[in-house]
Amino acid sequence: MPAKDYAPIDENWLENAGSLWTTPWVDKPSERVIVDPIILSHAASLFRKNAGYFYQNPDEAIRMVCHACELYDVTPVGHYLYADYWGQDYGAEIKIQTNSPPGITKRPIKTAEDVDNFEVLDSDELAKGPTLTTHYKALDTCKEEFPNMFAPITQLGGTMEVATNWAAIEDVFMWMITEPEVVDKLCQKAGDHMVSACKATAERYGANVMITGSVIASGDLMDTEQIKRFSFQPVSRAVRKVLNAGAGPGIYYHLCGNHTDDFQMWKNAPMSPFTIVQIGYDGQNIFPTSKLVEHFGDRCTCFGTVDTKLVDRGTPAQVYEQAKEQVIAGKDSPRGFILGTACECPTNAPPVNVHALVKAAKDHGKYEKF
Amino acid sequence: MDIKITEELNNTLKDNGFKTEEIKELIANAESSGQKLKAREGDISIAKGGSDNLTVYAVYSPSELLDVYAHKMNILGLTGGELNEIDYDDASEWACAKCGEIALERNVDMTYMGVTRPGPGLVCPKCNEFYVSDGVARTLKTAEAILEEKRA
Ligand SMILES: [Zn+2]
Repeated sequence: MPAKDYAPIDENWLENAGSLWTTPWVDKPSERVIVDPIILSHAASLFRKNAGYFYQNPDEAIRMVCHACELYDVTPVGHYLYADYWGQDYGAEIKIQTNSPPGITKRPIKTAEDVDNFEVLDSDELAKGPTLTTHYKALDTCKEEFPNMFAPITQLGGTMEVATNWAAIEDVFMWMITEPEVVDKLCQKAGDHMVSACKATAERYGANVMITGSVIASGDLMDTEQIKRFSFQPVSRAVRKVLNAGAGPGIYYHLCGNHTDDFQMWKNAPMSPFTIVQIGYDGQNIFPTSKLVEHFGDRCTCFGTVDTKLVDRGTPAQVYEQAKEQVIAGKDSPRGFILGTACECPTNAPPVNVHALVKAAKDHGKYEKF
Repeated sequence: MDIKITEELNNTLKDNGFKTEEIKELIANAESSGQKLKAREGDISIAKGGSDNLTVYAVYSPSELLDVYAHKMNILGLTGGELNEIDYDDASEWACAKCGEIALERNVDMTYMGVTRPGPGLVCPKCNEFYVSDGVARTLKTAEAILEEKRA
């Protein structure tokens, strides 16, 4: 759908949402907590399109996301990204899928020797590569058509996520046991790649917000020592390099999955004045916002979560109940709070469930600290 | 210490509102007090001065001024309050000239326009002195601009 087919964005809504969105970052008083349900291809479902369509049309994807933000009254930021970034730039093949985000089919690294020979691209090369060409098409559309909803986001994932987009996850996990030095090398290169990608975005837009963290590297798949060695340490090194290169200031630590045993180490991850931490699960349960605020509240902005499974398959009442509990625990966190989902909003989540999440923030997320 | 300033750097200083005399004084203070960072390899130092509203840094070799940068965010202290053990190698390329300790890359709380948030600092664990690198100062400049816009 071309831009002219959308109804205009309500400017009053945008101004109000913008002010709610500003509060967690700069402590400027507003009425209540804002919700970020991490809308990506879910927006397409609102337009009766599928995920395949969403990802093949980055400019339209942004329009759909921005309009979904207005519909739900959530964070006014246009997003476009998926997990399998950064393979294609190094020779991987990517498959567009109808009902899920694009997936890498052929990975460039097959052997330990390939890891040695693998050369990380610099920011200029990456800016011209397939991942950022598509990504920037989305961001440029946002900047042009929805300038007040623009954020210069770079989707990185952590070192393990980049590494497993370059080499098969089975190989990486096998090397972790048989030849861990190979994985060290791979994660170091993934870290260097993260720095190049952030520089590319900062050079293009004058600032950069990096989405990093630890998704595969969670307690579901790795032990704490492995997470420390292959995720926390190389990710921290990379983030520090990005900040030392002036390619910040935004840092979003997205710790997806179970982080019961490793979340404490992330308290000392490098932070900038615009840092947010989101932790998905504590064992099998949603990570309690009370615990998040206890450990991170005096450090950075906290992102409290509602179980994505609940948003996808629960009832509105269940979503509302969990959102209520989380938002009450988080709303007055000293360095700001946002309520959202543990991971991206499922493509076909019932809109009433997203609405229930927002409703909980409206009913129970009024600030008391201002 | 008679320090050379190239014409190019001198112009940059002027463009950014730094006064050569103040920079020279800042370096002289660092040299007499020993309060500065020294590169662990090579003969380069970072001196720090200024006020709560503007922290100014001068990077110099024994003969030449190499760079000057500044930030408006005021460093309050370590994020989280104390120097805990952490799980990565946080040794920077710099050492504290006063006590010889390696400066650590740690988060420090910074405040500006009533907002306090963390930022990546260089910390002398013994003297409790805080610095930032030139690259981080560039990151902070973007952060300051956002705060100025949003807090206005
Ligand atoms: Zn010292």
